Amino acid sequence: MSLRAKTAVYGLLCVLALPFLFPTWWMVTSSVKPLSEVFAFPPTLFPSSVSFQAYRDVFTLQPFAQQYFNSMYIALAVTVGTLAVSSLAGYAFARIRFPGANVLFLVILTGLLIPSEVTIVPLFQMFHSWGMIDTHWPLILVPILGAPSVLATFIMRQFFLALPGELEEAARMDGLGRFAIFSRIALPLARPALGAVAIFTFLHSWNLYLEPIVFLSTAEKFTLPQALTQFVDAYGGPMWNVQLSAASLTAIPVLVIFVIAQRQFIEGLAHTGLKG
Amino acid sequence: MTKKPFWTGRRRDHLAGYLFVAPQLLGSIVFVFVPLGLVFWYSLHEWNVLADTFDFVGAQNYQALADDPKLPGVLAATGLFSVGLVALNLSLALLLAVLLNQRLRGTIFFRTVFFSPVVVSLVAWTIVWGFLLQDNGGINGMLGAIGVDGPNWLRGETTAMVSVVVVQVVKNVGLNMVLFLAALQGVPANLYEAAKVDGAGRWRQFRTITVPLISPTILLTMIITVVGSLQIFAQIAVLTQGGPGTSTTVLVYYLYQQAFQFHHFGYGATLSVLLFAIVLVLTVVQWQLRKKWVFHES
Amino acid sequence: MKIRATALALAGLLALTACGGKTEEPAAAGPVSLRMTVWTSNEAHLKLFNEIAAAYRAEHPNVTEIKFDPIPFESYTTTLTTQIAGGNGPDLAWVLENAAPDFVSSGALVPLDGYDTSDLVPAATKLWQKDGKLVAYPFSTSPFGVFVNNDLLKAAGQPTAAELIAQGKWTWDNVIAAATAVNTKSGKAGLVVRDFDYKGWDNLSTVWAGWGAEAWSADGKTCGFNKPAMVEAMTFLHRAIFTGKALPGPGTTADFFAGDAGMTITQISRASLLKDGKFGWDLVPLPSGPKGNYAVIGQAGLGALKKGRNAKAAAEFLTYFTNAANSAKLAAYFPPPRKSQLNAETLAKTNPLLKPDQLQKVVVDGISTGVVKPSHSGQAEIAQAVRAALDPLWKADANVTAVLDGVCSSINPLLAK
Repeated sequence: MSLRAKTAVYGLLCVLALPFLFPTWWMVTSSVKPLSEVFAFPPTLFPSSVSFQAYRDVFTLQPFAQQYFNSMYIALAVTVGTLAVSSLAGYAFARIRFPGANVLFLVILTGLLIPSEVTIVPLFQMFHSWGMIDTHWPLILVPILGAPSVLATFIMRQFFLALPGELEEAARMDGLGRFAIFSRIALPLARPALGAVAIFTFLHSWNLYLEPIVFLSTAEKFTLPQALTQFVDAYGGPMWNVQLSAASLTAIPVLVIFVIAQRQFIEGLAHTGLKG
Repeated sequence: MTKKPFWTGRRRDHLAGYLFVAPQLLGSIVFVFVPLGLVFWYSLHEWNVLADTFDFVGAQNYQALADDPKLPGVLAATGLFSVGLVALNLSLALLLAVLLNQRLRGTIFFRTVFFSPVVVSLVAWTIVWGFLLQDNGGINGMLGAIGVDGPNWLRGETTAMVSVVVVQVVKNVGLNMVLFLAALQGVPANLYEAAKVDGAGRWRQFRTITVPLISPTILLTMIITVVGSLQIFAQIAVLTQGGPGTSTTVLVYYLYQQAFQFHHFGYGATLSVLLFAIVLVLTVVQWQLRKKWVFHES
Repeated sequence: MKIRATALALAGLLALTACGGKTEEPAAAGPVSLRMTVWTSNEAHLKLFNEIAAAYRAEHPNVTEIKFDPIPFESYTTTLTTQIAGGNGPDLAWVLENAAPDFVSSGALVPLDGYDTSDLVPAATKLWQKDGKLVAYPFSTSPFGVFVNNDLLKAAGQPTAAELIAQGKWTWDNVIAAATAVNTKSGKAGLVVRDFDYKGWDNLSTVWAGWGAEAWSADGKTCGFNKPAMVEAMTFLHRAIFTGKALPGPGTTADFFAGDAGMTITQISRASLLKDGKFGWDLVPLPSGPKGNYAVIGQAGLGALKKGRNAKAAAEFLTYFTNAANSAKLAAYFPPPRKSQLNAETLAKTNPLLKPDQLQKVVVDGISTGVVKPSHSGQAEIAQAVRAALDPLWKADANVTAVLDGVCSSINPLLAK
């Protein structure tokens, strides 16, 4: 690429990066600013003085470590469960011809587009009648089995559609059953798609906001996005620097994982995956 | 003539198919369709939660829906928002992916930058954008530096809609960018070489090679983005509260207002049914269209 | 087969859940556990609540548990309503002022029969009565006052608020003149009506009450937005914003407590934000308008829900939680509605940042004479309609009378409901 083209690409990238970078930068730097400076106008790019008191407050004001653990284990459970459910269903819809497959797929697909505000009240009634209010079950079961996992099934189906059929035929000749073909042949090849589904699912669960607020009512059971709203001063006003510290603490680890995993994730997907 | 065994290979395969999709299907029934059934049931009632009344009113809520003077505006805003969001999100995601697909140093840094808003808490995100979009905020500050007198973003009907779309796109475009990147890296380089030999310019290469080859990904990202556009709620609640006037009151926000703020649960449920009907039509249409333009979908 | 089984399962679930909210059986006498939803998750608050609850349980052994559930302020009423709709409502709940008419008039709250109201300030309980009976206790009654940044006023060559008050010139005309001077001189905001932000219009009642204007008549049936007093007040405000630049325009916010504004109108509880304030400040009553002196208060109530499993026990606990002794403790954070505790000495103990004189003039006098912010049954829907109809007013060339007529025609059908 010519030098001029390179400069142009870099220039374009830098300009485009601004709106992405600034809010994140603001969130992280504001968390160490004095409270009075957080909303100073114009916003300060660098804190006038740095204090990590807010980070200490995060852990003393709320059972934040416990809440961190809750979010983590719920997101992991949802991810594992979704991978299992959606790879099975996605495989079947892509590779097995059975009567009604297309209709069933379309029926399931409609669930993909239902916003959670629509079903939250009936879901609350159902979980209440099962005695599961103020437990983590609704936050685990609904994403794995309900509307959010439909997207995962869709991605898996698209992936399996693109898989060459010869390998399966060979395995069939060797007398392998459907489940064996799925688990020994198809699934190992599907690692990149599973990676994509895992990232989507984990982030979705990690950022879930409406459901925890409606279903959970004990601080020890809260998840992170819900915990963020609980840092308030004596009059219900948000303690911004503490909230932003907590927000930074929830964002940065995920970002680090992304930096580490992104190359493998993107290239893995590219070589075998959703190219169609 | 020998009797065929009942469990032929085909029958076995059918059973396997049903068993494989069973968890997803049962889950959808319990956690999607039963709740939807209940929502439909509510929509036939006048339900005041506080007064604890739940009275059957038949189609009365549907009559109210037909007579609702606000509804046409809400539907127009919803359509405008979704179309704007999908168009901007997909084209920006594709542009970023193409730029980052060049063999350049520092792409990992930029990938991370463009992905980072995805993991930032929505609360922090909308607050900082609320600040940036003020009349004397950061955006207009930057525009002023290059001699442009920026509008009062969140107070004008058109600019408020544009702002909400842009804030949402910047938050989530990273996900689509990553998917496009993966798809682009899977396009064989020799196709481009061949096109170059034929004298095709960059734009023509993009149109005739790249787009068809990544069309399955375009379909996927499109569906994801349409889903996202229908779920937008916190951003509107924080940034515009559906205003100015009712210019950014999209259907989900309107149904949230009716059900949770105004306590018209029955009418809220009726709006949910309407939303579901729209979604159903959209899904079927998208699904039919895919055969037309998605390259080698079986 | 498959279809029939599915239909059966669906019907079963429907039967199981559709009436989930209605089949709640009242628990027999015996162990009682209570749950109260609140929107604070402040540690000090919860500690105080738990202490009061522990003392109550010591006296009432049948009450085995009293739990305080913090719900985020932004989604408080939504979450509360969802819980009630799902059949899992709390036994007691804090109620926001703007949700008060709905909760009170719907009969969702248990009447507090026998509550000794002799000590309560009448102005404070008005909003919380149904058919003359108290149904919720206004545990927080917080008057609006004007916080003044003396440094900014002096720098603009203006007299301080205290000087104006001493001369008897603390009027809206002078306040706006001072605010304009601050803006011209420093470029900072003159006067900020906090939480208004061109959306939360009910906070403007702190302005128009000075003109004797009201959003609607006392019986809630007649729209007040196009009455002469309101037109006059809004015209004054519009001129102050767009001609005098005394208030930051739409889409511009300025934080008084960060030192970005000369004056702000807000509730006195915000004084805590001045803990590490870096400027000289004062707290004074609202300025007088054409109709003389006035005060406005904001409130929050505590009620026991009828639908709760232990409504009677909940009401008893409410009575205890808010009795004179506990009210004095709660006064550390929430200005009480009790005459006996509304004096500068009691309040000074718990509001160290405020001087006795400030407490007397703003808090004590404010609560006894104040009017509450506008509220009406179906408030959320009306508020939304007013917000949308008022939007055209916030332009420099707006026709005030026409916009206000528009507000009335937009909310009249709702007021009539």
